[in-house]
This record gives sequence, structure tokens and C-alpha cells, in this order.
Amino acid sequence: MDKFIRSSDIRKISNLDHDELAKKSEAPFEYWGPTPAEARKRAVAKPKGLHDKQTTLKDAVAKHVRDGINLGIGGFVNTRVPIAIIHEIIRKGAKDLTLSFQSNSMCVELLAGAMILDPNHVSIKRVEMAWWGYEVIGIAPLFRYLISNGMIHLDDYTNYGMSARFKAGAMGLPFIPTRDHGGSDMELVNRGKMIECPFTKENVYLVPSSNPDVGIVHVSAADKHGNARLFGAHCTCPELALASTYTIMTTEKIIPTDSIRRYPNLTEIPYPAVDAVVEQPFGAYPGACYGYYWFDMPEFLNFRSISDEFRKTGNKDKLKEYYDKYIFGCETFDDFLSTRPYNKLKELRQKDGGQPIIID
Amino acid sequence: MAEYGPFEMIAFTGSRVLEDETIVFVGTGLPIIASMHAQLTHAPNLNMIFEAGSFGAILEQGLPLSVGDTKAFRKAVYAKGLCAAFELTQRGHVDYAFIGGAQIDMYGNINSHFEGGTYWKTKTRFPGSGGAGAMAANCEKTIAIMALEKRRFVNKIDFVTSIGFGDGSADYRRKAGVMGSGPYRVITNQAVFGFDEETRRMMLLEVLPGKTAADIQELVSFELLISPDLREMKEPGDEDLRLLREVIDPEGYFLKRKVVK
Repeated sequence: MDKFIRSSDIRKISNLDHDELAKKSEAPFEYWGPTPAEARKRAVAKPKGLHDKQTTLKDAVAKHVRDGINLGIGGFVNTRVPIAIIHEIIRKGAKDLTLSFQSNSMCVELLAGAMILDPNHVSIKRVEMAWWGYEVIGIAPLFRYLISNGMIHLDDYTNYGMSARFKAGAMGLPFIPTRDHGGSDMELVNRGKMIECPFTKENVYLVPSSNPDVGIVHVSAADKHGNARLFGAHCTCPELALASTYTIMTTEKIIPTDSIRRYPNLTEIPYPAVDAVVEQPFGAYPGACYGYYWFDMPEFLNFRSISDEFRKTGNKDKLKEYYDKYIFGCETFDDFLSTRPYNKLKELRQKDGGQPIIID
Repeated sequence: MAEYGPFEMIAFTGSRVLEDETIVFVGTGLPIIASMHAQLTHAPNLNMIFEAGSFGAILEQGLPLSVGDTKAFRKAVYAKGLCAAFELTQRGHVDYAFIGGAQIDMYGNINSHFEGGTYWKTKTRFPGSGGAGAMAANCEKTIAIMALEKRRFVNKIDFVTSIGFGDGSADYRRKAGVMGSGPYRVITNQAVFGFDEETRRMMLLEVLPGKTAADIQELVSFELLISPDLREMKEPGDEDLRLLREVIDPEGYFLKRKVVK
């Protein structure tokens, strides 16, 4: 294999610490979750019939989420993000998590905050990702806090790199070639490798596939078996669900299987990729869900300002108050939603502007 | 001439750089605003691609606040996910990357990962590559929007997130395995830069009326090449400002921000 390993000229311009890089390059490669062979084995072992997979989030999370797993998080930044599932994971608790996602805001900030409040209940060991922030709302304060204090191990890819890694996982492949990362410092710090293409003899960058232990996605509509439709941005949800060895899915709406069979082309996630289905309206709130509701900007601003206050002062009181009231003080995500006035949710539905979706 | 703010100048200049009959891969904020302005003026057949998976949308619900905003999918001709957006790019269908960053060097390499400390324990960590690294690699030409400050235009950036011309050697990008031709323009509110074909070094092309090349060099840590054909930046007219302020970003989400000192 070594005779195929190449590199770009990044070392000529890189400003990274040479000793740290040397240590990194000596470390043997490992998948931060199931290997492709292990992921296949878990798929093979599952019963393959159409079964009613509807359950509660409490049961789904209790069954699949354990300490030490690789958790793949769906959605993209503030869009169709699986917030309801994150709330339940925080209620249950999970330590030494590896998080895998392309770009996210509140899902990962909520997990980071839970870790800051009680690392014996929720903790993040390492993160493979492309981007962690709030976009127009600002940088992610809790991410910056964890990184500045050296509390989590990071592995950086581009948004395509992470998406392609899930895609490779979904394809049953050990890696996938990409046309990015090479010539950037990501080539030096992440777990991909530059090789000589056996066909063109040119350099091409390989990223390892990702098969998370548990993938979490929120979808536009699904039947009780887990056949799911996505409208607006697909993000990387189909690839993530297919790559993950277990997938927990919340859906805005359960639709009849007759409808799925009428428009099979609209199914973006097929049922064998799904292990638990939970109907959870507003399951991405305060994120947006195309055809249903838009972002709740003030809610993002509120949680972000509480987080930033902690980062600047070290005072955890308001952060703790938020979790006690909205997560630990709630039995279900519906209880959390009940803390929002009806008019607020109605306004978010109006702000979606009636994006057309097919759910009949 | 009407008075305008720094972000209005950047958006207007970004619009000027975009040609009609092209596809632009936009990041959040000013790139979307510049592209909308171009569509409304000289480039009606310019189409935008958003990394969450939208292509060719008609932004009739107003300015998307993020590249994953549901508004960015309105009346698109193609709506998938991240893989589709970046694979269209890898395949060669996307002309411009429109990105930003915290630091840039003379060869157009850009940092959006961190400043200070080491990668393993950073002083100030930024969100990360997001789409930028992939856009700079595989869109045909990269346009960067930067704040013109000495601490941002530097000799050595802390981390190379978005590949430019690397060390300036002719085959840096080929050895990196990327497909696009690389840095094309760097836009600031006081100057526009391009890159010299021979040396691949940053070259000053345009300055704000009233400024000189020496004024711009003062704000840049490395030595700039100066175009023999140095021009003044065109300023936005009343109609441009009306479009920016009343049609594109009436809430002032991006155009009314304060310049961070």
C-alpha cells in the first residue's frame, strides 16, 4: 500500500506544529465507529420484513443510544435538525460519544452544554465534522469553549468530505475518492490519505467511509415502516440513514403506506435503513422544516446568548436553568413545545410561506 | 454620488465580478446578496447553487438567511442534498466559488479554521471548513470576500482551509488533486485584487476612488503586485443602492452590520 501513498506540497506552506504532526502520522488508522464489515454484519442480522417501527423517543433512545457510540447527526446547520431526539439523548445521558456530521448548530451545542453541566451524564470524546456554528447568528460559544480548553478531539473535513464519507458508508465501501482536502491543512490533520490514482497516475484524496452506530434524522414524512420523504434540502439524511447501523427517525407526519407505494420515487430513505419511527411534529424546532415551519430566530439567539455568557464569565447558572426547565424538566418533546405560545408556532408556520410538499 | 456603506460596496463589487450565463456557488450573506444584485441587473441568467442542495432557485420569498434556509429552495430547478451540490461542482458545472475567511496569503490560500495556539488546542477556533474548502478546490474560479486589514492579509496563515495557489508553484493544485483553476478575485470595500498569471501572486487591480496603491499596501502584510492598469472601483449608483436596500436585504441583516474593528 505504501508505494501508492503520496502527498501534495502542503508541507511547504503549512504552519502546523511539526512534532504534533509527526505524532499524528505515526498513529495507525482506525474507524471511529463500526468498520464497513461490522456495519454490514449488523444489517445482515436484521429482520427484513415491513414491520410497524413506530415507538416513543424514550424507548428508541433507551434501546439504541449507549456510552461510547458514534452518533451521526442529520440535517444541516439550522435546517431539519433532529432536536427532539437530541433532547431525549440528553435526558437519558450518554458518555464518550463520537459525533459525526457535516454542519450543525443547536444539536451539537446542546450536547456540548450538557457535557459542560455534567460530564458524568453526557460527554463528547471526539468529533468528525466540517463546520460547527450558527451562521448569521454567530459562532458557537460552547464549541469554542471545548476546543480552547482542549476538551474534545477533532477531525476536520469539508462539507463534501463528511457527506462523501456517509455516502461511502451507505454504499458499503471502505473509502471514497474526493477532489478536495488535498493541498489544504486538512490533508495533514484528518484521517484521509492522498494516493496515486492507479488509472490516471494523478494524486487523488481518499476519505474513509463513516458508518455511525446510531444515525438520527428528522424527516418531512414517513410511513410506519420508515419509508421516508424529504422536501427542501435533503442535507445528507439519506446517506446518513443508510450508512448508520441503527437509525432513529422522527417525522413531522406519519403517512399511509398506500401513499408511499403510489409515489415510490419520492422515497428518499427506504425502510431497511430505519429502526425506529416516531411521529414528532415540530421535531426540528427551533430549526426549520420545509413545508411546515421556519426557524425560530429569537430562540436560537436566546440559547446562544446564554451559552456565550457562560463562555465569557464561566457562570453556569443560566445554562443550567435552561436545561432544567426545557430538557430535564420535560418528560417529552411535546412538553417542551408546550412552553411555546401557540401564536409563536403559528407564526413559524406562516413564515414557511407554504412551501409545496407531497404528503398525501 | 450617493453615500454607501462598506458592505454595500462589497456586495456591489461582487455583483460586478459575476458574469451572465454562469453558475455561482454561494456562501451565506454577502455572496447571496451580490448574486441577487447581479441577477437583477447585468446577469439575468446567472444561477445560484446552495450547498444544502438547491440549484437555480427563484428567491421570491426574499433573502435566505443561511445556505440551508428553506427560502433558498423556492422554485429551484433541482433540489437534492450536499452530495449533489458538490458533485455538480466536481464535475465542472460550477463557475464561481464565493467564499470568505479570517486570513489570506499572497497566493490566495484562506484560513477559516482557527487563529492562535495550535490546531490541537486553538486560541480562537472558527466554525471550520464547511463548504469553503470544497468550493475553493473544485469551482472553476474562487472569489473571496475579506476585510482589508493587516492581520488578515498575512505572510503565513495559521491553517490552510481553502486551497489557493499553495506556494505559488505551477503544479501545486494539480499535485493537490483538485480540479478548479483557483483564486480569481479578492474583494474588499477598499480594493479589488486579482492574481498574476506568471507568479500567481496577489495583484492590486482596483482601488476605492481617492485611495492610492500605497494606501492599500499599508493594510497588507505581504508585498502586493500592482496592476499596470490600476483602476478606480466603480461605485454603486442610486438604483443599485435601492435594489440592495429595498429589494434584496430590506431588514439589513448583512448590509447594515457594523465593521468589526
